[in-house]
Parts: sequence; structure tokens; C-alpha cells
Amino acid sequence: MTHDGGVTVFDRNPRLRWAVPATLVALIVGGTLVGSVAASADSGLPPLTAQELLVQAQAPNATSVSGTVEAIADLGLPELPMSSSRGASPTAMLSGTNTARVWSDGAGGSRVALLADADEYDIVRNGQDVWAYSNADRTVEHYVLPDRDASTEIPANVSLPSTPQEAATQALAAIDSSTAVTTSGVDRVAGRDVYELILTPKSSDTLVAKVVIAMDGATFVPLRVQVYSTQMQEPAFEIGFTSVDFGAVDPALFAFTPPAGATVTEHPAGSMTKPTTDAPNGPKPTVVGTGWSTVAIMTVPADALAGTDSTPASDSGTQAASMLQSLPTTFGAWGSGKVLEGTLFTAILTDDGRVAIGAVSPTTLGAALAAS
Amino acid sequence: MSAANASLRLLGSEMHLIVGRRRNQAGILVRAAVRGRGTGFIASATSNGIFVALSALTIELALFLPLAVAVLSGDAIAGEANTGTLRYLLTVPVQRTRLLVIKYISLVIGAFVGVLVVTVAGIIAGGIFFGLGPVTLLSGDEIPLVEALGRVALAVLYITACLAGLAAIGLFVSTLTEQPIAAMITVTIISTAMWILDGISQLDWIHPWLPVHYWPSFADLFRNPMFFDSMRQGFASLAWARVAQKDITS
Repeated sequence: MTHDGGVTVFDRNPRLRWAVPATLVALIVGGTLVGSVAASADSGLPPLTAQELLVQAQAPNATSVSGTVEAIADLGLPELPMSSSRGASPTAMLSGTNTARVWSDGAGGSRVALLADADEYDIVRNGQDVWAYSNADRTVEHYVLPDRDASTEIPANVSLPSTPQEAATQALAAIDSSTAVTTSGVDRVAGRDVYELILTPKSSDTLVAKVVIAMDGATFVPLRVQVYSTQMQEPAFEIGFTSVDFGAVDPALFAFTPPAGATVTEHPAGSMTKPTTDAPNGPKPTVVGTGWSTVAIMTVPADALAGTDSTPASDSGTQAASMLQSLPTTFGAWGSGKVLEGTLFTAILTDDGRVAIGAVSPTTLGAALAAS
Repeated sequence: MSAANASLRLLGSEMHLIVGRRRNQAGILVRAAVRGRGTGFIASATSNGIFVALSALTIELALFLPLAVAVLSGDAIAGEANTGTLRYLLTVPVQRTRLLVIKYISLVIGAFVGVLVVTVAGIIAGGIFFGLGPVTLLSGDEIPLVEALGRVALAVLYITACLAGLAAIGLFVSTLTEQPIAAMITVTIISTAMWILDGISQLDWIHPWLPVHYWPSFADLFRNPMFFDSMRQGFASLAWARVAQKDITS
């Protein structure tokens, strides 16, 4: 059969030729499996208690951090029609799997790039300047942060911890009534050994089963946060590095100049210092319950609801209104309304214009509404 | 006659076949002429001619470029078998492995020519209509035109490598039949089916195994700095595609 060269083993047994691709497939698949098995092998990190871990976490041994971050969200939110256009935006991070790239120099420079197919949304901070660039919209938002002294004013009645140990003790004491703080063994994130700090709510009312924070074993920089719901096995929300680097970051990345042709909106310093709670049309929410089962109840201004019902101002208004109509109706001692059941939170919009939201089940939320 | 010389002559005759065929010439013209809608880069197309080329590549990756590879690979073995010329090729003192490798290389060169034609035509047409200048990357940073052209060249090489994966599948399919049309349709169906599967978000567990899933990742070359994670996975899936070709080498 062959013309130059002798009779090979393949000529005598033609079926053996299929062994070549079969072996390759076995190598590729097997290689993937072996890789994941090796990844879960134990590491040589010394065990740490929750308090020791918190002490270390306050002084991370790395200033610069850069890498690729993957966020996986399964919040049980209804799919909006507009979410099918897969542009990059902060709201897109609320569902499905999304990738971002982050850079931080530990001082005043940081950059987050949210990636989508041939699209990107960048948030660049350089000292007091913050730029948000949307490639799809060709828009730039420019914020100027207020002076540091003004924003970090400390209330007089708070006693500041003097050592990291003291701070850790205070932090643990503050959350002790509501949360059990433990450490588990070690895991691997982005190819690095990590410690895991586990926060478990003591309340059985909440939808949050536990929060797991993975911290790098060498630098104590948090590398992954997982929020587990009582409703499902997998994390309802997870954000973590898939690759991380603690080397110096090129400062040119933090120097952002709006590109030609982009619409720039300026938000000068002071325009964003006041929180929205004391705005005239945003009444203060009523808070029912404590800790993880806290429920916030707000009254929605009547005109806001009327606006979405009769003359929607925009496409998103129409979509929000139709989404609201598609939600299931629920009722109880508090009246009736529409309920949105997520994996980590529940929201009820009552027919008399109240909104209740909390990381609890609809039953607990209804009880809070009735009590308020 | 040295082996290298023989290989070069084989390659030369293959390239003559590919470029000389009327339908391939017509295909090149069609590919150069296709302009139109798309996503991502299209929004930027009116600001810089470079984006016209990138939009054209994005659009043609879905059908026209795979179709070109399908036509070429259908001709490669099944076409020769159909016209009876394959037996003459097999009687010349050339090892079959080498014949396949030469066929494969000429397919890859054919794919490269197709990608290059689309890109150059896009840059020329875009340059005429919208002008050329410093390019705004997806990240909002600007780079000079020369650097942008360098990145376009990298994109051409990456897309050629992606199509080389399909060419490997195509060459394998081509050995299974003596009907070139059957091979062309099969390869087109394979690539189209992969694109459709890739578009169904409920099947996302299968997406990492679809070579086409990583094809549009050439867009990552136009971020600041360039992003290689996804393209690296693209090359891994190339290895998977290459497996399809291995069984006919002996």
C-alpha cells in the first residue's frame, strides 16, 4: 500500500489506525480530569482560626492586584427582553456567567473592564477621577470624588480599635449574635491555595445559607466570594478570580482620556455626596427584623406607579411594567400584591403601593408587612 | 528530485487548482463584496474604516468563510476521487501522509487568502467611506493606526488558525465520500450546526467543546491590553478538531 517505506503495523491492521485519534481524545479528556483532581489536592497551608484570618486580612501582603474575574449569578430573576442583547454593562453581571478584568495598584488607581462579545464597559479610577465608559453607547460618565477628609469623618462615639487583633475581636463580636464565623480547610482559587472564611446566618428565616470568602494563603487578598442560597445546591452568586497576578500594574491603564466621538457627561465633586434617602420623593424605609432576616418596607409614590401603567416614558419603562404584570399575585393578612421570588431575596409590591424587600421567604416578608 | 522539491511542486499544483477554479474566484469576489449588518464593531464602523473590516470578518465568520473552506475541502479529496484524478495522484511516488499534509496546507493557505481578501477589501472600502485614523479600542483607549493594523494582522492569523480547524474536519469528511458536493454540504452543516448550538444559551455546557465558540474571540485583540484567555481556549479546541484528521494518516 505504501510507496516509499515498508509495510507498517497500520497496513497489516487497518483498524489500528483509529487508535491514533482514540488515544488523542483519551489524552485530552483524561488530561482535563487529572488536572481537576490534582487541583483539589490538599495544600501545605497552616491552619488558622477565624480570628487569626481576620487579623491577617486587614493587612494584605500585596498592594497591586490584577487578573481575570468570573461572576456566576443565579438570582432567580425573571429574564428581561433586553437582556438577550448581550452587551457589556453592570446590570448584565446580575445574571448568567460574566467575565471581567481588574487592575488595582492599591493606592488611587483601579480599573474594571466588564467583557462581552466584541463589547466592553470600563470603570477607571485615577485618584479622585472616576470614568465609566460604555463602548456600546459610546458614552463616558466622569465623576469627581469628594475630598477624603470630608467623606471619612468618624463619628465621635465610635472607639477605634488600636490593633488588628482588637479590630478582629470587635468585628467578630459585632456579628456574633447573628452569624457563626468559621474557617474550613483550604481550597484552590485561580491556581493558588486559599483559606476559606465561612459566615453562616444563625437565623433560619433568611434565604442565605452561607457566605464563603476565599482568601489567598500568602497575601490574604480575597480571591473569591460565594453566596449560597437555601433554595439550591450551587452558589446563587459567585465572583472570583480565574487568574490573578500580584505584580506591579502599568499606571498607563489608569490614565483615561475620553475617546473622540464619545458623549461625556460631567458629574462634578459634591453632586454625588448626598445619599438619595433624604431626597424629598424618597421616604425613609421602615426596617423590620434584625440581622440576616431584616426586611425593608418603602412606600412607592403613587405617581411613579401611574407613570409606568399609562404613559411609559421609555422602552425600559414598558418592559418593567409588563414584567411587573407577569409576576405571580400573592395575598395575606397584609393585603395582596405581586411577588418576585429570587434565590437570595424576595420582593413584594402591594396593591396599595408598598414595597417590601429582604433576604427572606415570602411568608416572612408577608409577616413583616402585616407587622408594619 | 528531493522530497522538499516534490512537496513544493505538489503544493504549487494544489494552489493552482484552488486559485484557478472559476467558482473559487467567484467566491473570493462574493466574499470581498459582502458588507452589512452585524454587532459590536458595527456601531464603531462609521468612525473608522478599520471597523468595517472587523465587522465584515465578524459577519463572514458565520457562513461565508466556513463555506469557502467547505468548498475547498470538498474538492481536495472527494473532488479528485470524483473526476478520477485521485488514482493518478496515488500512483506517483508520494507517501499518502505527505499527500494529505500538502492537501491540508493548501486548504489552510486557501482559508488565509479568503480572510486576507475580506480584511483588505474592508479596510480599503472603509478607508474610502469613513477614513482611517487612530483607533478607539473597545476599552475606550486610543491607539495609533499602525498599531491597529498590526492587531488586524494578528486577527487575520487567528481567524485563519480557526478555519484551519474546520479544514481538518473538512479534509476528513472529504475522504469519506467521492461526491464533492456531499462533502461540501456536510462541512457546511457541521459548521452551521455548531453556530446554532453555540447560540442556544440553554446548551452552554456544550459551548466550550464547539470550536466556533472561540472564533469571534479575535475581538479580544482590540481590548486594552489585549486579552488572550479566550483565544488560548480556541487553540485548545483546535487540537480537538485536528483529531478528526489524524485517522487518515498512516
